[in-house]
Amino acid sequence: MAGITLKNVVKTYGPEATVIPGMDLEIRDKEFLILVGPSGCGKSTTLRMIAGLEEVSSGELYIGDRLVNDVAPKDRDIAMVFQSYALYPHMTVYKNMAFGLELRKTPKEEIDSKVREAAKMLDLERYLDRKPRSLSGGQRQRVALGRAMVRNPEVFLLDEPLSNLDARLRTEMRSQIGELHRRLQTTFVYVTHDQTEAMTMADRIAVLKDGVIQQADTPKKLYNEPCNMFVAGFIGSPQMNFIEARLEKGEGDDWYLNSGALAMQVPPGRFSGERLQKYAGTTIIVGIRPEDVISVDSHRYKESDGLIRGQVQTAEMTGAEVYLTILTSGGSRVMARVSSRIMPQVGDEITLAADGDKLHLFDRETEQAIR
Amino acid sequence: MTGKEKKAARRVLFVWLVFLAAVFVAPILVVLLNSFKGQFYITDEPFRLPTAETFVGLTNYAAGIAKTGFWQAFGYSLFITVCSVGVIVLFTAMTAWYITRVKSRPARIFYYLLVFSMIVPFQMVMFTMSKLANMLGLDNPAGIVFIYLGFGAGLSVFLFSGFVRAIPEEIEEAAMIDGCNPIQMFFLVVFPMLRPTAVTIAILNTMWIWNDYLLPYLVIGNKYKTIPIAVQYLQGGYGSRDMGALMALLVLSIVPIIVFYLTCQKHIIKGVAAGAVKG
Repeated sequence: MAGITLKNVVKTYGPEATVIPGMDLEIRDKEFLILVGPSGCGKSTTLRMIAGLEEVSSGELYIGDRLVNDVAPKDRDIAMVFQSYALYPHMTVYKNMAFGLELRKTPKEEIDSKVREAAKMLDLERYLDRKPRSLSGGQRQRVALGRAMVRNPEVFLLDEPLSNLDARLRTEMRSQIGELHRRLQTTFVYVTHDQTEAMTMADRIAVLKDGVIQQADTPKKLYNEPCNMFVAGFIGSPQMNFIEARLEKGEGDDWYLNSGALAMQVPPGRFSGERLQKYAGTTIIVGIRPEDVISVDSHRYKESDGLIRGQVQTAEMTGAEVYLTILTSGGSRVMARVSSRIMPQVGDEITLAADGDKLHLFDRETEQAIR
Repeated sequence: MTGKEKKAARRVLFVWLVFLAAVFVAPILVVLLNSFKGQFYITDEPFRLPTAETFVGLTNYAAGIAKTGFWQAFGYSLFITVCSVGVIVLFTAMTAWYITRVKSRPARIFYYLLVFSMIVPFQMVMFTMSKLANMLGLDNPAGIVFIYLGFGAGLSVFLFSGFVRAIPEEIEEAAMIDGCNPIQMFFLVVFPMLRPTAVTIAILNTMWIWNDYLLPYLVIGNKYKTIPIAVQYLQGGYGSRDMGALMALLVLSIVPIIVFYLTCQKHIIKGVAAGAVKG
């Protein structure tokens, strides 16, 4: 088993197209790390560099203690699961899974026992003699996982493996992959643009934008303490509300936020006074997640929470909850996720509150979090 | 269009197709029937069925085989066709895979050069080519295989390239991670996926090479007679020809190709259909 280290890894395609400008990342042994980010952010390129399918333009890439920049994919002791499954269409499920071992001249009995063991684990025993074309999407994906498993690699690489599946199957496979990681105790590197997948499966998530890691941390930390507006907006669904507000100094250590949408006191002790002092009298960005915009009759509501008054623009019922879009008197749009017991009509005037304990503040220029 | 009209249209189409099939099959049937008739009756009444008077059994076949050295010609035709088709399918599949995957300028130029070669008529190059073949010592059954490779490469690479493009690169990457070297990847992963196309290309080339007259006549015709050349030799001096033997040899020469076609037709249809879907 092995961890992966990227030291100032750069990927360029010609002099003008730099996809990864210089990445430092340490993936620990047995860790489940998920690379997440919007399309074109370089997450798949990073994974393909780890796999050896893309050359590293400069920098150093280690698997365990071994520098693998110039090592062929087959010699990196990795296995990869592709978005399109990439099964060999002319081979049976058994042969697909056994192929890698056959190439490595593994004894036949060993191949057979490994393939059957993996097939049992993935509930594929009945399909071993079938060709991939006669399998469903979920079964094909399991074959792709099985093919990777039998090799018993040091590192598992998964490139958006669930994006071709329907929502129900995706949820099912998500838990299967999580279970697989727990059983195999191997390093997993997983690429997705779906932040729900990332939040539910990862030990750690690395959020990428334009080839640069914005933040690499546990899902909880990313959600609660995003380092900038990009991470704050990317993690969480629906995305965080951003409202411009003026930060004003009150008496003593009191600080106030003022905008057309929101007027409230900054909860004392939540942010460093020294840091806030730097922004006194300037406009900053207030971030509040839709689930932290609460009803005033909720048990979470406190007197100190800022009130948000506005008109309901849309109300989307999802079952237990309702998503409200509110147009505030200041002209800002605020999304709220509240209990479906409150079911206002479009056009109704409504008063909600921003939970002060869950407030995030960001520098308007640099978009970095103010803490 | 109403149901009744549709039915009528289908009937008209059916009759038209039956007529077309008859038109195409008729010459073969005429040759087959005449191969059992005495040679003088062939020219007098070519479309009449053999009667007790005109039927000569296998006499024409025996005469044709004896006069032309048919089995030797059959051997040469078989050797040249099998080797040429094998070489064309193997090498052009490799070439198509290479030039499709290696996205470089020289590869692109090479591809267009091959495609261009399809539109150059054979008559334009036949004399220089036969002279060159002679100079290079290719004027023998083994040498002509390479000349056929050159003439068959354009269309075959063009067809293979379209299908290689339809193979997701991820499959090859998966094979690379599984441990394949390029040779293993071609033979164990890529080529098996190209099988329907390979069969189509094999059939097209077999029909052409087996029936080809001009190229073997120009390059090896003096020493090594393939079936079309051997058949031609039945035409004697001053316009005399043994029509019975000629018909018999024509039947013998088309039997292998018809058997081959009927055996592989399933694949050719599959290949053409796959082409329609994959583009």
